[in-house]
Amino acid sequence: MPKSQFINPDEVRKSGEIVFQPIPVNQYNKTIREELESKNFTKEELKKIYHDMVVIREFETMLHLVKTTGGYNGVEYNNPGPAHLSAGQEAAAVGMAYTLTVDDFIFGSHRSHGEILAKGLRAIETLDSKELEKIMTEFWDGATLNVAKKAYKGNDIKELGIRFLLYGALAEIFARTTGFNKGLGGSMHTFFTPFGIYPNNAIVGGSGSIAVGAALYKKVNRKPGVVVANIGDASMARGPVWEGLTFAAMDQFKKLWPDDMKGGLPVIINIMNNQYGMGGQTCGETMGFDIAARIGAGVNPEQMHAERVDGYNPLAVIEAYRRKKALIEKKKGPILIDVLTYRFSGHSPSDSSSYRTTEELKAWEEQDCIIAFGKQLIEAGVATQNELDAILTGVKEIMFDTFKLSIDDELSPRMDLRKEPNLLETMMFSNQSIDSMSDAKPDVNHPMNENPRVQQIAKKERFAFDKDGKPFSKMKQFQLRDGIFEAIIDRFYKDASLIAYGEENRDWGGAFAVYRGLTEALPYHRLFNSPIAEAAIIGTAIGYAMCGGRVIPEIMYCDFLGCCGDEIFNQLPKWQAMSGNILKMPVVVRVSVGSKYGAQHSQDWTSLTAHIPGLKVCFPVTPYDAKGLMNSALQGTDPVVFFESQRIYEIGEQFHEGGVPEGYYEIPFGEPDIKREGKDITILTIGATLYRALDAAKILEEKYGMSAEVIDARSLVPFNYEKVLASVKKTGRIVISSDATARGSFLNDLARNITELAFDDLDAPPAVLGSRDWITPAYELEYAFFPQPESFIDIIHEKIVPLKGHVVTYNFTKAEQIRRSKLGV
Amino acid sequence: MAIPVIMPKQGQSVETCIIGEWYKKKGDAVKVGDILFSYETDKASFEEEAKADGVLLETFFVEGDEVPVLVNVAVIGQPGESIDEFLPGGVSTAAEEAVTKAAPAVEVKAEVASEVKIVSEPSDKVKISPRAKNLAEKAGIAYQQLAGSGPEGRIIARDIEAAAAVAPRLTPLAREVARTEGLKPGDTATGLGGKTAVQDLIAYNPVYGDDFEVKKLTNIRKLIAKAMHTSLQNSAQLTHHMSADARTIMALRKKFKKALDAGQISQNITINDLVCFAVIKALKKFPQVNTHFIGDSMRWFKKVHLGLAVDTDRGLMVPAIKNADDLSLEGLSAQMQSIAAQCRKGSVNPELLAPEAASFTISNLGNYGVEMFTPVINIPQTAILGVCTIVPRPKDLGDGVYGFVPMMGLSLTYDHQALDGGEATLFLKEIKEQIENLTI
Repeated sequence: MPKSQFINPDEVRKSGEIVFQPIPVNQYNKTIREELESKNFTKEELKKIYHDMVVIREFETMLHLVKTTGGYNGVEYNNPGPAHLSAGQEAAAVGMAYTLTVDDFIFGSHRSHGEILAKGLRAIETLDSKELEKIMTEFWDGATLNVAKKAYKGNDIKELGIRFLLYGALAEIFARTTGFNKGLGGSMHTFFTPFGIYPNNAIVGGSGSIAVGAALYKKVNRKPGVVVANIGDASMARGPVWEGLTFAAMDQFKKLWPDDMKGGLPVIINIMNNQYGMGGQTCGETMGFDIAARIGAGVNPEQMHAERVDGYNPLAVIEAYRRKKALIEKKKGPILIDVLTYRFSGHSPSDSSSYRTTEELKAWEEQDCIIAFGKQLIEAGVATQNELDAILTGVKEIMFDTFKLSIDDELSPRMDLRKEPNLLETMMFSNQSIDSMSDAKPDVNHPMNENPRVQQIAKKERFAFDKDGKPFSKMKQFQLRDGIFEAIIDRFYKDASLIAYGEENRDWGGAFAVYRGLTEALPYHRLFNSPIAEAAIIGTAIGYAMCGGRVIPEIMYCDFLGCCGDEIFNQLPKWQAMSGNILKMPVVVRVSVGSKYGAQHSQDWTSLTAHIPGLKVCFPVTPYDAKGLMNSALQGTDPVVFFESQRIYEIGEQFHEGGVPEGYYEIPFGEPDIKREGKDITILTIGATLYRALDAAKILEEKYGMSAEVIDARSLVPFNYEKVLASVKKTGRIVISSDATARGSFLNDLARNITELAFDDLDAPPAVLGSRDWITPAYELEYAFFPQPESFIDIIHEKIVPLKGHVVTYNFTKAEQIRRSKLGV
Repeated sequence: MAIPVIMPKQGQSVETCIIGEWYKKKGDAVKVGDILFSYETDKASFEEEAKADGVLLETFFVEGDEVPVLVNVAVIGQPGESIDEFLPGGVSTAAEEAVTKAAPAVEVKAEVASEVKIVSEPSDKVKISPRAKNLAEKAGIAYQQLAGSGPEGRIIARDIEAAAAVAPRLTPLAREVARTEGLKPGDTATGLGGKTAVQDLIAYNPVYGDDFEVKKLTNIRKLIAKAMHTSLQNSAQLTHHMSADARTIMALRKKFKKALDAGQISQNITINDLVCFAVIKALKKFPQVNTHFIGDSMRWFKKVHLGLAVDTDRGLMVPAIKNADDLSLEGLSAQMQSIAAQCRKGSVNPELLAPEAASFTISNLGNYGVEMFTPVINIPQTAILGVCTIVPRPKDLGDGVYGFVPMMGLSLTYDHQALDGGEATLFLKEIKEQIENLTI
């Protein structure tokens, strides 16, 4: 909501109409002879295009044969993994890749073998030989190259490059450690960043927002190149793809970002339109766009410069890309290209194509893009049939060599998780400590000490109490939101790549005023408001980080995590390990747990994120912890889901002696903190429940003579049990509590582990005190829902140690437990 | 006006007494002379009588409590009267109050300790927390019969802690042996500081299982046990047997009986009185027997302080009769009768019961038909005479004529450290002579 833009009622209420521009459909009509005459291609280039298509076809044919006949060229092999093949789509892939350099990035889908090979072959063709050699020699310290060149006697670095590319991809598909991602990505994910090939995605449309984030990275960090999102026609139905388009087309790029940042994102949404989504026909059955390019008209006035291109003719695709790249250079992105193509194979080898006729298949095979292009080459006198046959023979030879090398268990071993059982665990996090992901000087509007918020915080009391133990007024106290702010602004001045965005982040300063003051300090491209599109907020952050940036996306309410479920659960946590640790993922997702606002604005979903391997999860609830953990999160290279609580943004530091340090410090992830020492019972809390646990500890002390030790988990993943176990050894009793609904919550995980690890020390099973398995009721009814100081006492009385004279309010009996479970409430 | 009942001080050295049994309970009406409660010193047990009429308004201690002497145990008065001023230790002086007030206001409440309760029926399936079980094993607590105070009766740590506070404590070695060999503390505790030592551990008995009741020894029983055991451990005892012709004393007894029946005398002179009288005479001739053996020296008594073994409901007591050699037969008889009665009643002066109080002891089991026994010396005394029943034995009456003569068995146990066999034999023979030739 920039004040600079005046919404004039006189203007916006005027009558008128929206005028759409015609969207071109298959308008390319040149012959090869014409292209040669226009000097758009040389004969060699045209033959190379043919060659690259043949490589893709043979690669997919090989995999098809392996899947359906158990071998290739008489050599048996069983490949249990997936094979979503793209035979028929070669012209679309080669055409898409033809104009791209290694500075241009492609992202793909589950059916992207053709795209990565096309892009790789093009990179090999355009790279300087020395540079190519360097890339291959340095990759996995030459492990991939050393196998690839085993079957090659020649010394042509470009042919070696092709063998390297095919071997790296196939070894990856066959889950070999010499593969591009150590065999951890596989068929649907294999990628090779030195050639500008970024992850393919097995979630339909997954690249729809990630690629936009990569383009954002290029723009913000002033990197050359365009980003292409190769996604299917059926993925256009998906919300996250639509969110990605929306994000990519934000007006602010053109209207609010100043100076060299002004202008659209360098991103091309390339719909690889093979006209089917598994068995669903997008045109005529599952979608309504008729021609997918129509979508562009709904996104922005430029209609995303959308057009349909005949993807059965590589030259048509190349011609379109030459025009679109020129638009990108003029900062006219985003762009939408609907590349019409057709896949011969089914969705996967198990697909019997029951949804299409052999007649249809035949009709497309008759127009096979490779055969047709070959014919045109002969007709135009570019090549003879013999030359074309020789190309095929050569490709088949390389392919067979590659196949044999890839299935050789000695040359291409798989990870041995029997010998090295911990190998995969070392891939889950990168665990690095890096001050800045960028060498550039951070773009800021003024020195930090001139920032109004920084100046205001300087006057605050950094410990909640004065020397007599009296609390300062709320306003005077250095609050939790100040702790988060200090860590974040500090990093903004250290790391030029750091950006933050989300809903209401700029101007408003975030819905909970954590970013107040940041708007003054940072230019638009480092802090901006996103569309209300959580999938795009997280998805773009993932793409941004994959390319090498650090980013803080913000999800305003924890409840909205569901809107970016795929991004949080499938993308963010997975890519470091799936890349074989090539990628880092320095993304700190700020998530705020609400209160008072009922069922859809008050949920604690820490458990959901803790359940997913690959995420670090923390939930600090004091200013000291919040600043220290945010510093750690921003210094690291791993994805962190950073939970905050709206109950306590204004709380002061009550525990850390001397208050919150002004300087930089880190609190390591995974270390719980004892907030109150005691000897009779341990209370372990996650999140703002801590403060109710402390109230309960007071009651225990005053009414029942029990001294409670209260431990704040601070982090969920990772989590070091040692401190808790030492406490339980002392007390023998433990209550574990948070505001998350109890069923399936992380509390149960803690309880199980503590039971196992401290069984002999326990005087009763750990008692789990979560919220009820209901909707969150109105604020006035929350006493019956969230853990209360009194419910701590009741659960202790009922389940751990009967307290003399205690009368319970809450029912924690076994019978009640069984009854609730029976009813699922 | 209400009056307190105090714990009497029985003997100079007594500092505390243990309440044995209450015969009256709070609210009961009592009359002067009613027995209120019994109590024990480490030497004897006693009964306390009411010294006023009224109602037992309050009792401050329960059975088994150890109560310092002269402390209020109960209050007798009229219903409605305040007992506050009699609360043991409850009356605080102004000074004390001031100190209390000056103390920091921080009241540190301890977590409520649990009481130790025992379940009547031990069950095979014991509900116990892992922590409690570990604590029990470490502390050597047999938890199977503990009543748990946790949820659903589970035994939890505090139950074990409470039990450990009152249960026999084990020496470290005993604890280890108990744990590894599955033994449990027995009924004795002979380790340092009253801890259960390895030798006190007992195994669960497969024959009788739990089919017994463990009863604590009374203090007096403990005392006797200790005295007897010490005696046998610390002296070189052996016993000589001999018999004496009892015709003379039987005749004397008959004569005194007749005189008593005729009202000529008031004291019932028994055979035992006569034997004791004869023994005193013998002791006067053998002063080396009227002694205490105390290691590197001996106490030779100038007077005879005769110990008399008295069998009572509470156990064996051996009160001393001071200066018994000064007494006439009738005087001796009267004193012996009186002191035996005191013993049976429990009101004997504890100082008379000490083994050191007597210089020689006589134990008479004749009434019970015992023909011969080996009495145990009441150390540090040097010897003890056992007097047995009278049986007719054939005897040479002279001139080859044999007849049955009533013979009284005499068993002299002496400490061979103090006396030689010859001396002892001569002393025993002297007793026989005295008995056979007793004249009054």
